[in-house]
Amino acid sequence: MKKSILVLALTLGSAGVSFGQSETKIVSEKGHIEFLSSTSVEDIKAENSKIKSSLDISSGAVIISVPMQSYKFENAMMQKHYNSPKFLDTKQFPKSKFKGTISNLGDVDFSKDGTYKAVIKGDLTLHGVTKPVTENATITVKGSEITLDSKMKLTLADYNIVFDKGRTSNSIAKTLDVTTKIEFAK
Amino acid sequence: MKKKTKKKILISIGSIFIIGISIVLYLLFAPHRDTQASPIDFRMTVTELVNESLENSKATNDKYLSEDGDSKIIAISGSVASVEMDFVNNQVVRLKEEGDDAGVKCTFMKNTNKNAVALSVGDKITIKGVYRVAASYDEDFEEYEDVIVEECDILRENS
Repeated sequence: MKKSILVLALTLGSAGVSFGQSETKIVSEKGHIEFLSSTSVEDIKAENSKIKSSLDISSGAVIISVPMQSYKFENAMMQKHYNSPKFLDTKQFPKSKFKGTISNLGDVDFSKDGTYKAVIKGDLTLHGVTKPVTENATITVKGSEITLDSKMKLTLADYNIVFDKGRTSNSIAKTLDVTTKIEFAK
Repeated sequence: MKKKTKKKILISIGSIFIIGISIVLYLLFAPHRDTQASPIDFRMTVTELVNESLENSKATNDKYLSEDGDSKIIAISGSVASVEMDFVNNQVVRLKEEGDDAGVKCTFMKNTNKNAVALSVGDKITIKGVYRVAASYDEDFEEYEDVIVEECDILRENS
């Protein structure tokens, strides 16, 4: 009897939690990531607009899921190179994910129009490696729209993406600039 | 060495050099594969692809993804569940059958978007595009993620 009450309480409890989350969690498929590798040899840029994200305005939780083969390069050979097992190995690791939380949630008022500086701390899983990262973001609230803009540096070696030999070691930057923009609708 | 032989050697080396340079230039600036102009590798219904994905998304990715990113070109048949625009104004047609846990999201391109705009929810169609990632249950989003297919157009075949 006691056991069944406990089970019931747990079930109700978890139902309550998921109900609470769905009320404040906004899912968006309107987002864009661009990365830039800048060296003296050349600038290489790639873009991806197939990302899926969620923002929980009560807990500050942010999730971004990125299909890795959706990155587009201007140059076809570079795109092939990027996908290959020597670099991002996208066949083996077809998705990357960021999971974090806005650490200064008190500074962001999602109910009031304005521009807020946010610090998002979390873990990034890329190329099968998970590392803690901190993103500085700007959150803009305008009516029912919340826009998240962030810029961060990503060091390839942190995710076991290394290239010491050949032409690529000079033409690809060791640290990339990653720019993310996501539109959420309240 | 005779003058003639010398000349021949020089011409040979010269032509090998030119051919080499051309190959390198071709590889460096070769265009992207044209998905719509390329042959279809697999044909299936939305339900078949979703079930295959949810049963084993890793095996499904292994089957349809290519290491260089020019992954398998598939033709998927099913019902239109929604038509929306993404961040860069491409049309995204979601194919999904009632009762299935997930669907297939097909992103069109600049020159094919107009074909997607004309669609209505419930239309039964076949879409050709390149496979990007399998459907799966995502524990963080607490929901199913669709299969992603890109560079799409509606496939019209004479049956």
